[in-house]
Amino acid sequence: MISSSPYLILSAVIFIIGVLGVMVRRNILVMFMSIELMLNGVNLAFVALSRQLGNLDGQVVVFLVMAVAAAEAAVGLAIIICIYRNKKSMNVDDFNLMKW
Amino acid sequence: MNFPILSLMTFIPLLGMVVILFTKEGQDKLVRYLAAFFTFIPLVLSFILLSRYQGSTSQIQFVEKFDWIPSLGITYFMGADGLSVPMLFLTALLGFLSVIYSFGDIKEKVKQYFAFLLLLEVGMMGVFSALDFFLFYIFWEIVLVPMYFLIGIWGHGRKEYSAIKFFLYTLFGSLFMLIGILALYFNVEPHTLNIMVLIEKTPLLTRSFQLLTFAAFFVAFAVKVPIFPFHTWLPDAHVDAPTAVSVILAGILLKMGTYGFLRISYPMFPQGAMYFAIPIAILALINIVYGALVCMAQKDLKKMIAYSSVSHMGYCMLGIAAVTVTGISGCVFQMVSHGLITGALFLLVGVLYERAHTREIGAFGGLWIKLPVYSGLMILFCLGSLGLPGMSGFISEFMVFIGSYPAFKVIVPLAVIGVVITAAYFLRMIQAMFLGTFNTKWEGLSEISAREIFTVVPLAILMIGIGVFPSPLANMIKATVENIVHLAVR
Amino acid sequence: MDWIIPAVNLKLILPEIVVCLFAILILVTDPFLSKERKIWSAHLSWIAVVIAFIANIRLWNLQEATFTNMFLVDNYATFFKFIFLAGSFLIILISMSYLKREEILHGEYFSLILFSTLGMMLLASGFDLVVIFLGLEIMSVSLYVLAGFKRSDLASNEASLKYFLMGAFATGFLLYGIVMIYGSVGSTNLGQIINHITSNDAGSNLLIWAGAGLLLVGFGFKIASVPFHMWVPDVYQGAPTPITAFISAGPKAAGFAALLRVFLFSFTTIKMDWTMIVWIMAALTMSVGNIVALAQSDIKRMLAYSSIAHAGYVLVALVAGGETGVSSALFYLLAYTFMNIGAFTVVIALGRKGQDNTKLEDYSGLGSRSPILAILMTIFLFSLAGFPPTAGFMAKFYVFGSAVKSGFTGLVIIGVLNSLISVYYYLRIVVLMFMQAPVTRTDNERIKVAFCAILVLIISTWAVLQMGIFPQSLLSLAQASVSSIF
Repeated sequence: MISSSPYLILSAVIFIIGVLGVMVRRNILVMFMSIELMLNGVNLAFVALSRQLGNLDGQVVVFLVMAVAAAEAAVGLAIIICIYRNKKSMNVDDFNLMKW
Repeated sequence: MNFPILSLMTFIPLLGMVVILFTKEGQDKLVRYLAAFFTFIPLVLSFILLSRYQGSTSQIQFVEKFDWIPSLGITYFMGADGLSVPMLFLTALLGFLSVIYSFGDIKEKVKQYFAFLLLLEVGMMGVFSALDFFLFYIFWEIVLVPMYFLIGIWGHGRKEYSAIKFFLYTLFGSLFMLIGILALYFNVEPHTLNIMVLIEKTPLLTRSFQLLTFAAFFVAFAVKVPIFPFHTWLPDAHVDAPTAVSVILAGILLKMGTYGFLRISYPMFPQGAMYFAIPIAILALINIVYGALVCMAQKDLKKMIAYSSVSHMGYCMLGIAAVTVTGISGCVFQMVSHGLITGALFLLVGVLYERAHTREIGAFGGLWIKLPVYSGLMILFCLGSLGLPGMSGFISEFMVFIGSYPAFKVIVPLAVIGVVITAAYFLRMIQAMFLGTFNTKWEGLSEISAREIFTVVPLAILMIGIGVFPSPLANMIKATVENIVHLAVR
Repeated sequence: MDWIIPAVNLKLILPEIVVCLFAILILVTDPFLSKERKIWSAHLSWIAVVIAFIANIRLWNLQEATFTNMFLVDNYATFFKFIFLAGSFLIILISMSYLKREEILHGEYFSLILFSTLGMMLLASGFDLVVIFLGLEIMSVSLYVLAGFKRSDLASNEASLKYFLMGAFATGFLLYGIVMIYGSVGSTNLGQIINHITSNDAGSNLLIWAGAGLLLVGFGFKIASVPFHMWVPDVYQGAPTPITAFISAGPKAAGFAALLRVFLFSFTTIKMDWTMIVWIMAALTMSVGNIVALAQSDIKRMLAYSSIAHAGYVLVALVAGGETGVSSALFYLLAYTFMNIGAFTVVIALGRKGQDNTKLEDYSGLGSRSPILAILMTIFLFSLAGFPPTAGFMAKFYVFGSAVKSGFTGLVIIGVLNSLISVYYYLRIVVLMFMQAPVTRTDNERIKVAFCAILVLIISTWAVLQMGIFPQSLLSLAQASVSSIF
């Protein structure tokens, strides 16, 4: 059996890419996708740990996280569409009506 | 269950405030009479308090004690001893007189003004009768709110600035008191906020803890007194406040600081009292001399009297710092006498300002010719303030010097210089304003009215009364002061 | 493998069930309501809250776990649910007139408020990190939508977007923290985490440390503590005002409910190790919140920074820890809920359609335009500033007291100095209201306050004064809430 550490490292890398993406990129959609990337990094870690520890809790959590991510995506995309209708822009720096 | 006289004195003005708030807009006359009525009752009660008080013992009297917030050990604990009774009387008297004075003075937003004035009296009465730290702190803070509004709304000049400066300075101090209270609470077993119980227990605490807590309380009370580096709010607040509010500010609020020292700091932290005796005496000296010197330089009459308060409160602090029976008695005398005299002086300044719309000393001259009654009263109180024998100021200063000389053999002689300077600036002011040639510009000034005379005469009677017969007051405070000294040199 | 049907005690989640069912009911019935009758959804929603409140009272003094130990009902959770339900109740009341005024009266608003309340209740009761996570998400996702509820208003959109991005970002950290703890403990149940940490030498386990740190980041976003506070001012300013009040009351308390539960009950044996970090966070949160609030010219934004500062005060209680620490935090959050909602109600009452009047200068002369509103606002502001005899003072007294008791006098001094700073900006509004003339404005008409808003004002004023002058009953309630845990 392959040890779970490569998976954990991969999950950490994905997570960090996500974090950096949110911090560096200015396009709302890309930021949003980076957040999804973070969540998927978490999912990978859960699955890997679940297998390593030999209990199913982690796998179940992954389903919950996916469901939550779907809900977030629905709401998030709706917000993005709504704001795009009003402003015709996808760059967060344009949303400076209030001090950011 | 005996008669809850202290609670009544404290909360009747609150009742009055509520009643006034429910009057219709525009009924100024009714509001004025209501305010007078609701401050007159505490005055009557304070006479009962004076007559019922047993001066032979230092026991707390008129005690009222109930559980309030039992889970934190907070009680509703009111009581009075020889220290608080004179202060309560002074509060009731000045509260009533300032309401009477405000009859003519305040013409805008009358309802709110008197409501705040009554709330102010609630806080002051409460401070002087609360014996539970929580209660004490609440009243201490409540005083700030009406004072802030009274200065900020009905004041003159830079009133918002002065109001907020007063507020922030005092709050700065009292927040340190809050820390001190909390520290005391958790370091005494069983946890309690009862001041009397704490006084018994705190001397057992470690020396460093006593010193730190003493310092925390010192900041709170020093801002209020005010002691030298913390005094800068005072001239601003005094000058910009309306007359009646200056009277209360000088007459009572400043006393809350010295009262705090005598009630809390000294009995509770004998180690702190001993350790800080010399620094406090030096600060007191600075207060006396610096305050007097600044007075010399003032052109504004009200500002001069404000700074004279700084100087006079220095005598109080000097008496306290020495921790002798005579010194502290002198301090209590000074608290009463300064309340009477400076209160009257502010009233008289208000009288003049209302007519002449200026307070500049140099603008007047020879007023004696035009306004003999007014000038006579003003000169009488100025003489009282500079410590002329036969008046209360002399007794108190004399006692302070006698009492503190054994402790501070260098500082006291230096402080006597303050008396000389005080005499100098008061005489200079009298000369500039009342003597000399009459400035015809003031031909139209009218003489002081009967109502205004009514507000200062009781103060004059008391001032001379205490000066000639000091023994009733001395007997009243004697046992209590002896007890304080006994506690503070443990 | 044995298949065990988990024992479920539905009575324990009755309040949650009520809230959830009514939320769904509103969603289902709302499309069938004509425009004039949309207000029925609002009535349904407050009825739901009241029923849940009553159901919750029946759970008092119960200590029982259900759903295989994932959901715990104890006095701690029940007390928090009282806070949430009371907050939601007040918010629903003030929302009605606001939504009518802004012409955005839709049923889903109330449904979302109920869902959000449901999430908070799960947060308080969750005894498993996964339940806490789900509760947090149910709460937050509803709030993202609510923050953008004024769909045509760009500021509201912007608030919603920023809230969403930052919230989802924080969720990522929280989840990663949960993974790490799961990895080292083998379970996400708080009970097992306690056992694991106590039985092993957890201080040396890096994974637990990293997990705890990431959880702190995740919760830090929700409770708006520095340095995770940057979303707060924008969201507070842009969101519809009732939602701003809502966010600052319930969800913040809910974040603290979970934070206190996780850190003081699960990581309690390693308390000394993380205390230093929270100490710094508390000091920074108080100071940054108060100092930046000084410079604000918009009242919603100012209250946003003040809400950051208040989170700092509650963090002081977390640092203090122990029974007094937690009960003081509970009392503080309860007091804060009422005084803050009260202040926001006045802010709402001053608004007009399409014109929020939230600039500070809109408050000048309020004392003469509407003396009662000005007096009430003054009471709330004094309470926020921690001035006796109001709830805010009692709460601060209790929090600082618990910190002094635990020996964190330095932090208390910082806190006390911060109260001093805060007095300055709260008083500035009071100065404007009473000491300055109204700026010339076209609509000098009388300020009309809707009946429900008056009700909210009465309730919050009463609560603020009650908790300030006779706090004993609520204080002992707060103390009883934590005694079951320690």
